Amino acid sequence: MFHAKKPSSMNGSYENRAMCVQGDSGLVLTTDPKPRLRWTVELHERFVDAVAQLGGPDKATPKTIMRVMGVKGLTLYHLKSHLQKFRLGKQPHKEYGDHSTKEGSRASAMDIQRNVASSSGMMSRNMNEMQMEVQRRLHEQLEVQRHLQLRIEAQGKYMQSILERACQTLAGENMAAASGGGFKGNLGSSSLSAAMGPHPLSFPPFQDLNIYGNTTDQVLDHHNFHNQNIENHYTANNAADTNIYLGKKRPNPSFGNDIRKELLMWSNQDHEPIDDEHRIQIQMATHVSTDLDSLSEIYDKKPGLSGDEGNDCGKLLERSSPRRSPLSPMMNPNAGLVQGRNSPFE
Amino acid sequence: MNMNHPYDDFPHLLFSNNTATATSTSSCVEQHDGISLDMDWDWDCDFHDLIESMMNDKGTTTESPPLLPCYHGQEESLHPRAGESKGLRLVHLLVAAADASTGADKTRELTRVLLAKLKDMTSPNDRTNMERLAAHFTNGLSKLHREANVQRQCGPHQHPDVYDQVDVMLAFQMLQNMSPYINFGYLTATQAILEAVKHERRIHIVDNDIKDGVQWPSLMQALVSGNTGLSAQHLRITALSRATNGKKSVAAVQEAGRRLTAFAESIGQPFSYHHCRMDSDTFNPSSLKLVRGEAVVINCMLHLPRLSHQPPNSIISFLSEAKTLNPKLVTLVHDEVGLFSAIFDSLEANPARGFVERVIFGPWVSGWLTRIAVTADDAEVDSVASWPMWLATNGFKPVEISFANRFGQNGLVLGWKSRRLVSASFWASCESSE
Repeated sequence: MFHAKKPSSMNGSYENRAMCVQGDSGLVLTTDPKPRLRWTVELHERFVDAVAQLGGPDKATPKTIMRVMGVKGLTLYHLKSHLQKFRLGKQPHKEYGDHSTKEGSRASAMDIQRNVASSSGMMSRNMNEMQMEVQRRLHEQLEVQRHLQLRIEAQGKYMQSILERACQTLAGENMAAASGGGFKGNLGSSSLSAAMGPHPLSFPPFQDLNIYGNTTDQVLDHHNFHNQNIENHYTANNAADTNIYLGKKRPNPSFGNDIRKELLMWSNQDHEPIDDEHRIQIQMATHVSTDLDSLSEIYDKKPGLSGDEGNDCGKLLERSSPRRSPLSPMMNPNAGLVQGRNSPFE
Repeated sequence: MNMNHPYDDFPHLLFSNNTATATSTSSCVEQHDGISLDMDWDWDCDFHDLIESMMNDKGTTTESPPLLPCYHGQEESLHPRAGESKGLRLVHLLVAAADASTGADKTRELTRVLLAKLKDMTSPNDRTNMERLAAHFTNGLSKLHREANVQRQCGPHQHPDVYDQVDVMLAFQMLQNMSPYINFGYLTATQAILEAVKHERRIHIVDNDIKDGVQWPSLMQALVSGNTGLSAQHLRITALSRATNGKKSVAAVQEAGRRLTAFAESIGQPFSYHHCRMDSDTFNPSSLKLVRGEAVVINCMLHLPRLSHQPPNSIISFLSEAKTLNPKLVTLVHDEVGLFSAIFDSLEANPARGFVERVIFGPWVSGWLTRIAVTADDAEVDSVASWPMWLATNGFKPVEISFANRFGQNGLVLGWKSRRLVSASFWASCESSE
């Protein structure tokens, strides 16, 4: 004899329940062996109201909610579990998907939150996505930094080995030679490593280092602009191998002008304002500590010495051209030369 | 110009036509037809004193208030223009000396006088960046002047104060610690190369100027760590040496090869090295050993202090001929104009700086001056105003890189406070199949 057992799915969605019974108190109970409370829309709204009255899901307790709701048949057990779910905000009940219109009629912030979150689910999803995106990018950046660090370390090891080798060769050759420079001759490998590193990094404050874009168009414009007296012969014909170069022989070569340009060259992009969005801060280092977290410390500007350097080469130009058109925000507007070296922290 | 009394034309030299022949650059200074017009200090007065002091061969200039020994900001505020007027004066003198030493209006005597004056005013140990840099320039111009008086030579440049190899190496490494200038070129190129050869089994890099080979360990390391254990990518490097640079450069290239081979072995990167000797300045691609199925990369680092002479013609020949190899990628790293003053400013003050300036910057400036002077004087030698421009108009097309700031860019520029220092750009042959 078979005892046919009716399969009762204890964990299905509520829609699978064959029958529901509505009790007097308005509670809807299921008819399977273990009656479970069905949280209808109305019941849930009353619940949310009560919670709001009690000051929010964190302040409300099952007991107080029960009292406020005043629904017969509602046990602490029901409320406990429902409140927990509500707090976690993980229960976008399907029933609520159809009731987004209820938003307007309810003033409580909790309600709106629940409805909005459950009705479309999009906002929370978007925020989650954004959060994940940010995390992903951070992770990516850390990966990149790690790869870069490995490469730089490889380079450092290589350099150190060739320097050591060269030192040994030199020491072998010039045992007795007195050297002029302060760094050769007596260098043993120990003092070598002391001299070489890990150096405390003395990069310029990295805010001042910038990386620009460099498309060909930009290059062409840029050079076109400031080489106007040089004839530009563009030959689309690659096969024409006649030596037509840009910067062909100038009729009056101006050696001095080249020197002046070298010493006083201002920004070549006077007429291309550099958007902030196109700048990225460089964070390269030759010696990077193994702890990536300390990277940020490395780039702190070293106080003291640099301030005494006096005039920059570039500042001469600032001073001499007061009529300069307002440039990109990177130019230090500090026209007074009193402080000496520009500090990004001033 | 009146040769009898050079000083008659001195004002003319300093203030006028430096911009007439010159390109109108984007520098505002140039637009205003010379530096002078924007200055509101008393030109006549200072200028007169300047001439006076030179003619009387006085030791010190008297037109500026004496710089106080303790050079704090406070004192400087009392004499706000002291430092900078000296700096500007130095530049004017340098420009004048340079112009006097080359070109149609060459006068040895005036050059000599100007240089003597400059030597008086400058020292490599001066306080400000500009003064020290001017000292290096003075030095370089003096060398040129001496050599010009003896015999013009375009060959490898012999510096009286040659530093030995260890000093140079050490200073070079210190510079790498002090500024990202050098590594920017190397590491950016490495990344672009990695991207270009990602799916290639064999990589062949032709290096225009390998120096110590310092560029390549980072690439090797990246290749090794990128290998997922399947088949490792094979790396081959061919390094060029030029006969014009003498035996030492041949030895250096060979030494670099030994080092790189040892390093590659230590990290387990399949590697082979070749040395291609160029007998003249023309590059012959058929002298290269090529392997089927390899991706060719042309590496052209022009930003390093080139202590050996490499005329533009040689580089042009190299690039033009290398194009026939159908390279997957051409890396080009070059200095921007105004590099010297920018890099001087960008270096933080630290005890090693003087050493680096002496060992690296001095010869670097001298080498640069030589190249420029040779170009200015010698009609046979071509100059290239802009290497990216040259590439763009000689059969190369830009190659986009993924790590650029904007979509579609083929390179990056490292700058210091909006002044460009060095630029890295990436290209391929226009005829290459994509």
